[in-house]
Amino acid sequence: MNEKPILELNNLSKVFPVKGGKKVHAVNNVSLTLNKGETLGIVGESGCGKSTMGRTILKIYEPTSGQIIFNGRDITGLSRKQMLPYRKKMQMIFQDPYASLNPRFTIGDIIEEPMIIHKIGTPEERKAKVQDLIETVGLKPDHIRRYPHEFSGGQRQRIGIARTLTLQPDFIVCDEPISALDVSIQAQIINLLERIQKETGISYLFIAHDLGMVHHISHKIGVMYLGNLVEYGSSDDIYKNPLHPYTRALISAAPIPDPNQSRAKSRIILEGEVPSPLNPPPGCAFAGRCAHATEECRRKKPEMVDFEGRKVACFLYAAD
Amino acid sequence: MSLLEIKGLTTEFKTSQGIVKAIRGIDYTLEKGEILGIVGESGSGKSVGMLSLMGLLAENGSVVEGTILFDGEDITPSGLDSRKKKRAYETRMRAIRGNDIGMIFQDPMSFLNPIITIGRQMTEGILCHEKITKKEAEKRAVELMNLVGIPSPESRLKQYPYEFSGGMRQRIIIAIALACNPKLIIADEPTTALDVTVQAQILELIKNLTKKTETGVIMITHDLGVVASMCDRISIMYGGNIMEEGTTDEIFYEPKHPYTRGLLNSISNSEGDKKEPLKPIPGTPPDLLKLKKGCPFTARCSEAMAICQDYNPLKTEFSKTHKCNCWLYCRDRYQEVLEGEKANE
Amino acid sequence: MDDREAILFRKLEAEEKNDEFIAVESQTFLQAAMKNFRHNKRALAGAVILLIVILLAIFGPMISPYSYETQNTALKNAAPSAAHWFGTDKFGRDIFVRILYGARISLMVGLVAAIINLVIGTVYGGISGYIGGKTDMLMMRIVDIIYSVPAMLYIVLIMLIFGASVTSVMIGISISSWIDMARIVRQEVRSLKEQEFAMAAFVIGASDKRILFKHLLVNTVGQIIVTVTLMVPQAIFTEAWLSFLGVGISAPLASWGTLAQDARALIEIYPMQTAYPMLAICITIFAFNFVGEGLGTALDPKAKR
Repeated sequence: MNEKPILELNNLSKVFPVKGGKKVHAVNNVSLTLNKGETLGIVGESGCGKSTMGRTILKIYEPTSGQIIFNGRDITGLSRKQMLPYRKKMQMIFQDPYASLNPRFTIGDIIEEPMIIHKIGTPEERKAKVQDLIETVGLKPDHIRRYPHEFSGGQRQRIGIARTLTLQPDFIVCDEPISALDVSIQAQIINLLERIQKETGISYLFIAHDLGMVHHISHKIGVMYLGNLVEYGSSDDIYKNPLHPYTRALISAAPIPDPNQSRAKSRIILEGEVPSPLNPPPGCAFAGRCAHATEECRRKKPEMVDFEGRKVACFLYAAD
Repeated sequence: MSLLEIKGLTTEFKTSQGIVKAIRGIDYTLEKGEILGIVGESGSGKSVGMLSLMGLLAENGSVVEGTILFDGEDITPSGLDSRKKKRAYETRMRAIRGNDIGMIFQDPMSFLNPIITIGRQMTEGILCHEKITKKEAEKRAVELMNLVGIPSPESRLKQYPYEFSGGMRQRIIIAIALACNPKLIIADEPTTALDVTVQAQILELIKNLTKKTETGVIMITHDLGVVASMCDRISIMYGGNIMEEGTTDEIFYEPKHPYTRGLLNSISNSEGDKKEPLKPIPGTPPDLLKLKKGCPFTARCSEAMAICQDYNPLKTEFSKTHKCNCWLYCRDRYQEVLEGEKANE
Repeated sequence: MDDREAILFRKLEAEEKNDEFIAVESQTFLQAAMKNFRHNKRALAGAVILLIVILLAIFGPMISPYSYETQNTALKNAAPSAAHWFGTDKFGRDIFVRILYGARISLMVGLVAAIINLVIGTVYGGISGYIGGKTDMLMMRIVDIIYSVPAMLYIVLIMLIFGASVTSVMIGISISSWIDMARIVRQEVRSLKEQEFAMAAFVIGASDKRILFKHLLVNTVGQIIVTVTLMVPQAIFTEAWLSFLGVGISAPLASWGTLAQDARALIEIYPMQTAYPMLAICITIFAFNFVGEGLGTALDPKAKR
């Protein structure tokens, strides 16, 4: 596979000020690389900053510090106008198929809009393209004149995918695209995304909390906890042999849809819950729930280290 | 005698666009200490069945057919034509709910009153159903909180719901559900709103507590992973019908119905070494408004036949526990159905 | 019989199954709202009454043989008759015709005020809500200041400067009443802009103007229509009240308020002369409120399904 990166994050951080002069470090010094034609899965529990990171990459939120390098060019400081040509190349699929389509637009309008904004093609060409895309995502041509509320969740999600494809992007942030869908529909969306990747060589940043699906679709996986990237490596490595105690717990806690494996598996049941991002612990964010935590973990933040071909932020693997 | 026996339950909702048959003649039984999983997607009627059982249907919904036997008592909410009967039913159900049947919902916040302390909400539930003093009720509440793993319960009794995290709130709901030693607990997507690591805690808790107390549990969920690890038996629902039921192993290892097979194929089994492509079920779930006759899964079924469009299949028994409603297995009996149809006309 | 079995158990082809079938009939937002509105009897009655009032106001005076100012001293304070349906006033003017002319003025004041509110309120509220932050803060404080002065004061001041005319009444009424509209639109826009479809528009590169007008304001249309419909009767009422107090429209022009004011002196002898304009005000305001309420439910996005 072509190992050229389409996206690089260097120490990306996003801080939100909140009432009372406090700050929430939603994304904390995250460095990642996504190669062309590959999928990078981001997993973590609610509030771990994975969605904020996706939105910051697309500059829906302005990054606080760090760098976003897209296709070899630093886009961190670009203004909204300067971003416009890049918008064609980077797109987003949203979590909630009910909220992500304008209820007053027909399906045809929704899919055509990106072309109107970027002044692409004549009206006839645009109509033809819409027809094309509708078929690509498995809907019928006569659906073009219908309104979003007439469709089911899975159908709407496919419409959302068609909209992102209009501009033929190189990179799509998929922000929990399947978590609001029924089980039998999730696989449809995953297969559609995979098919598109095979045909166009597009790259995905796939954000989800369902580890099974992330493992299935991703080439690499990054695990986040409370705004920090704790482990990052190839999909199989992370899934089969997790190193960071949090990754281990996360994978072990995920219910397996197989009774025998489920019985055979010994579970790590974590104590407690994710601490509030308003006052995160001073050392390792996970120290409070970690079985291996030492004094050092509670005081000092572990650095990302290379370990057996992947990166992990834990003192257990720090070379000393 | 089974703890719960539901036969031929049919529930309808009147809407501005017509009558919606949310469930169409479903059967369940549940024994003491058993955990039954009801699996279905949105619109499959999995929650409506339980709401019918509890007498908690919305204003426009009603049970039009079937019987519900709970612990030998008929609690079917049908034939409530007079106000007196209705009131008698309501009174009886109020006594049963919380006393004999406990409930755990998806969103604990909608169940807890935000401006009343946790302690009061717990003791009130206990006092409603048991004749003990307030002191004793408080002691009981502390015991329950210990049981569900809430640290330092004495001090937390005085706190309000917002001071608890999502997982802790769900534990409180479980404690309240357990307060009066119910015979049956209905858990409707109890962990859907929770994070994976917290979900594991809660599931473990429900499983251990109910096994200890011989409580029957009905677990409503869309997550096959949850039922695989929790349940003794599983019923698969689609479009208001039960498509297949059996023990957990029967459903996972010998699925008969094309829908069950489709569901199992569409989840990724990542434990396998090779990444096989997923095999999704094509199409979209049915609109219950327009669903009239025949098997509801026909339009998406890879095995669909002409007869499926017009006639509901018969139940086929593969073992004492394993049953499936599909024309693939009852082809030899099709004349029964056709004759029955004729007799009806 | 075997044939039959073969037919019944024939495997269906993919085309026969229609697995992406959509059961609901396709209808636009307005079609759905119209359907809902038509089923609402009260709202429909209100709409019919309004239509009659408007038609009468436009065509009534054209057809009538009387004008609003021609005096007929021979026929003062006449009782209702075939010639004069509501009788005549103290100058012998036909009351029915004067009420029809009054309807013109009252409706016009109501409509113009509503349109001014609509334009200023929507744009102001939309911009304030969309930009948010400090700009929003500043814009809303300005609104608060305008709002803190009683509306009456503006009207009286404007009357003093521009004289008592229909135009000054309209300006006076509009000057502070657009604020309600601005606040409603701002609130709606603020919640809508957090929705994912607004974010989607941003990501595909839509300009602020496009996001605000094509994506956000379009979705507040329901709220806006309802608010406008309910603003018309408010303006009519304010105008009538002003004229009744004698600071509004002056003779010989007649709004419903001035008619009631004129007849007030004779209320003990000819109570009906006061009652007619008041009835006209009541009926019109009721009709507008019914329509507004009906539109409110018909356009409520949450009432779907």
